[in-house]
Amino acid sequence: MKRRVQPIDAAKASRWAQRLSTRVGKILAAHPDADPDNVRHTLILLEQPPLERLQRSLIRGRATAIFRK
Amino acid sequence: MAAPLPFSESELRLLQVLLKRKVRFMVVGLSAATLQGAPVVTQDVDLWFENLGELKISRALQEVGAAYVPPSNFNPPMLAGAGAELFDIVLRMDGLKSFAEEIKNCVDVPLGRQKLKVLSLERILASKIAANRAKDKLTIPVLRDALAAMQTLKRRAKKK
Repeated sequence: MKRRVQPIDAAKASRWAQRLSTRVGKILAAHPDADPDNVRHTLILLEQPPLERLQRSLIRGRATAIFRK
Repeated sequence: MAAPLPFSESELRLLQVLLKRKVRFMVVGLSAATLQGAPVVTQDVDLWFENLGELKISRALQEVGAAYVPPSNFNPPMLAGAGAELFDIVLRMDGLKSFAEEIKNCVDVPLGRQKLKVLSLERILASKIAANRAKDKLTIPVLRDALAAMQTLKRRAKKK
């Protein structure tokens, strides 16, 4: 099934990235040893519904397994 | 109901039948972590059953054309048959308390009209630290950071 892609304009994308960066910064202030990439990816995933997160994980996990063979 | 992501019709049916028959199980491991937002990858969905010998389980599996295969040589305990291949069976969890204790630390993830019990990220991290296999060592920092992020978000939400 083809998914319809919602277009996003540059200004909206920039605002989203800025908000994300601010949130990452606040978490790193509380947890200075945390890896910024791990924190950022977590925040991005939290914007998705749980089952979609699992689907993304399974797709990437299986692709990695095939690549290794 | 159309199968929700990421399950096929038969995988969804298996979970629904287990839930309908009130089999006590929970999703554990990295699939449970990813359901809660941890940025990790996995190839399967680990299920921990309170009592694999329960008649309710074999009846549920029969109903969907699947069966439990006990461990042998290089094979872990498995489910076989239609829609069962995605799921792995976990017999014990390193570093955790009994199933009855740990189910209290579960979060509910909606699955259609039902709810899947999913082991909390905190307890998944505890089990990975206890297991301490090479593959666990790779994921521990990621789980730890994801947990830190979520705990900070929760604390901030409580303050508001």
